[in-house]
Amino acid sequence: MPKFDKMAYASADEMIFGQAKSPVKYGRDFTVGGGYVFPELVPHPRPGTEATKKSLMKEYEKMVTDVLDRCVAIGIPGIQVELEHVYQMTKNPDWGGEIAAQTKHLMEEYYRKFGLRSAIRATIADYRKPDEEDIRSSVALETILKAFEESAVGGADNLSIESVGGKEISDYCIVRQDIRGVLFGIGVLGSRDMEFMWKKIVEIAQKHGATPGGDTNCAQANVAMFMAGGYQDRSVPHTFAALTRAIAAARSLVAYEQGAKGPSKDCGYEDVIVKAITGIPIAMEGKASACAHSDLVGNLIAACCDLWSNEAVEYHDMFGGTTSAVFTEILGYDVALMNTSIELGTAKQLQEMMVYSDKYRDMHGFILSPENAYEIGKAIVENNTSYYSRAKAAALKAGELMMNDSQLKMSKFERESLQNALRILDGLPDKEEDFISECIDIYKKLVPGFNPANYGL
Amino acid sequence: MAAVANFDNIFVRYDLVGEVEAKGARVASKNPALQRVMQCVVEGDTDNIVDAVNEALKVADPLEVINEALVKGMNEVSRLWDEGEYYLPQAIIASDAMLMGLEICEKKMGQSLEKKGVVITHTAEGDIHDLGQKIVNALLRANGYEVIDLGKDVPVDEVVAAVKKYKPVMLTGTALMTTTMTAFERISNRLRKEGIELPFVCGGGAVSLEYVSGFDLGIWGKDASQAPGMAQDAVNGLSWQQMREKWNA
Repeated sequence: MPKFDKMAYASADEMIFGQAKSPVKYGRDFTVGGGYVFPELVPHPRPGTEATKKSLMKEYEKMVTDVLDRCVAIGIPGIQVELEHVYQMTKNPDWGGEIAAQTKHLMEEYYRKFGLRSAIRATIADYRKPDEEDIRSSVALETILKAFEESAVGGADNLSIESVGGKEISDYCIVRQDIRGVLFGIGVLGSRDMEFMWKKIVEIAQKHGATPGGDTNCAQANVAMFMAGGYQDRSVPHTFAALTRAIAAARSLVAYEQGAKGPSKDCGYEDVIVKAITGIPIAMEGKASACAHSDLVGNLIAACCDLWSNEAVEYHDMFGGTTSAVFTEILGYDVALMNTSIELGTAKQLQEMMVYSDKYRDMHGFILSPENAYEIGKAIVENNTSYYSRAKAAALKAGELMMNDSQLKMSKFERESLQNALRILDGLPDKEEDFISECIDIYKKLVPGFNPANYGL
Repeated sequence: MAAVANFDNIFVRYDLVGEVEAKGARVASKNPALQRVMQCVVEGDTDNIVDAVNEALKVADPLEVINEALVKGMNEVSRLWDEGEYYLPQAIIASDAMLMGLEICEKKMGQSLEKKGVVITHTAEGDIHDLGQKIVNALLRANGYEVIDLGKDVPVDEVVAAVKKYKPVMLTGTALMTTTMTAFERISNRLRKEGIELPFVCGGGAVSLEYVSGFDLGIWGKDASQAPGMAQDAVNGLSWQQMREKWNA
């Protein structure tokens, strides 16, 4: 059940990068949200190196060493490295555990020699298949939980996941522009699955002295956003993807209601809304994640970040060094600029520039600009009677904001898509139980393998 | 907060340049019953397609309903998509409607319509991101192909066994991650070892032209919308080398 009923911040104006109401401290003298922004580098192994534990460990050893070396080379004060599991690291929990231990060992060495502050996030791969198995009692679930354990034992400071509950419904509905199904898949099923998963993750983290980090709606809202793509893509309307993002905020919030402390996961673009509600520190990714995918929020999304990430960069050589080193440098200078503005007392001006760079570039940037994100957050906490009601309220508020800002331009097709979605949302039942009952009837017929029992329904 | 008066030197909204004016569907039938079916397909009206097809079957035989309403409607959807008036969701719901109509007609005929060919689709071992595959499935089915959907996280052995069993004209593989796409090369090697040659279209997420061109049989699929055209080439007898030349050169 929803817990948050008020905003952590009195207004959007209070929100700024580098500072969170509830900072998190872990790792080697590493504080997130305590006044300054740090980079979070996510290295990704080359294809083929995942074939054996030995070759994968060697790849990670090289990648992480390059990251730490570049930090020392150009004077980056501290860094978080995300070990974002390739599925072999989760399916073989000892692999993930040993890579975490190896990374910790390297970081301790650099801390001892140079005083480089650091931390490790382990993000476990959620490879459950909601349309094919009992996701509340499966080998995949057991293995995932074991992977959390082993990573924490190995030395991961932060435990995170990109959970996939409700994806079978949202996948079906995103490509059919079915907002009702997206609300059901993400807002209701996704939230219920997160409640189930995060109880377990928090318990494991507490047992091993790790910090339960956060979740992201990568599997759903990012699907919509990436399919919406750039200006010339015609896979999903951008207005529809923005509504999906607002719904995702109500869903990603559940991790923190179950005890996660943050910092959140970098690809959770909805996290600026989550920060406004919870006060937890957030990791964000924008222009420096172009190595992994393109988006239309390159600068704006840094406006309230506490960690600044690159999403994932595959390990290769470049003129300026390996990609791990190069992207560490890019992130390092980005955060140096942010931290300089904090020192100079000009952080709000820099934030303003970030926001205006992208606020009207696309609908996603528009709803995630701090003042609009804050309004969506308010709609969520003011409608916290059920997962359904708050997710619906988030979407309706995002739609209202998009419709009423004359500076946000959109094509006739985009506007009609938005109006159509808002009309459908307006006509949905008031009560969660009625909505769930209606959706189970509809999607059991349409989505092969959909099993309400996977969500306690 | 300061205000920016002019964004023109910050970004350009290219999506609004040359915006397509919606002109609607062009096709029409003199037979009002067939016209209604066609309209249901063009509008992706899955609520009314069953009723419309059943009505049409009272005045036309199933083959006529298929060819003169369902297929024509779907062709018009393809045109609207190609010309920028439709987005992917419109094409997908149109194919949903078309396939619902087709099922009724086939029932009435007592047999399935002869398919253009069999295509096997799968998502790589270790990968549960199968949305791209589902889009490919929908587009292939709507274009008259029989799709053997092996699902997601499919082991290499299973893919090879299915190719031997169903003898498809084309195989497709989808992967989001570079560390799961390596299964494609293993599949290719296994098929070659068995003496099997067929176009193996690989796409999705981080799958690149460079990678797919690095092993035999591989053809890089840039976008799901290419799938029907590629399948048509395979049916027409183009070899994987010729298809690679055509689609990837």
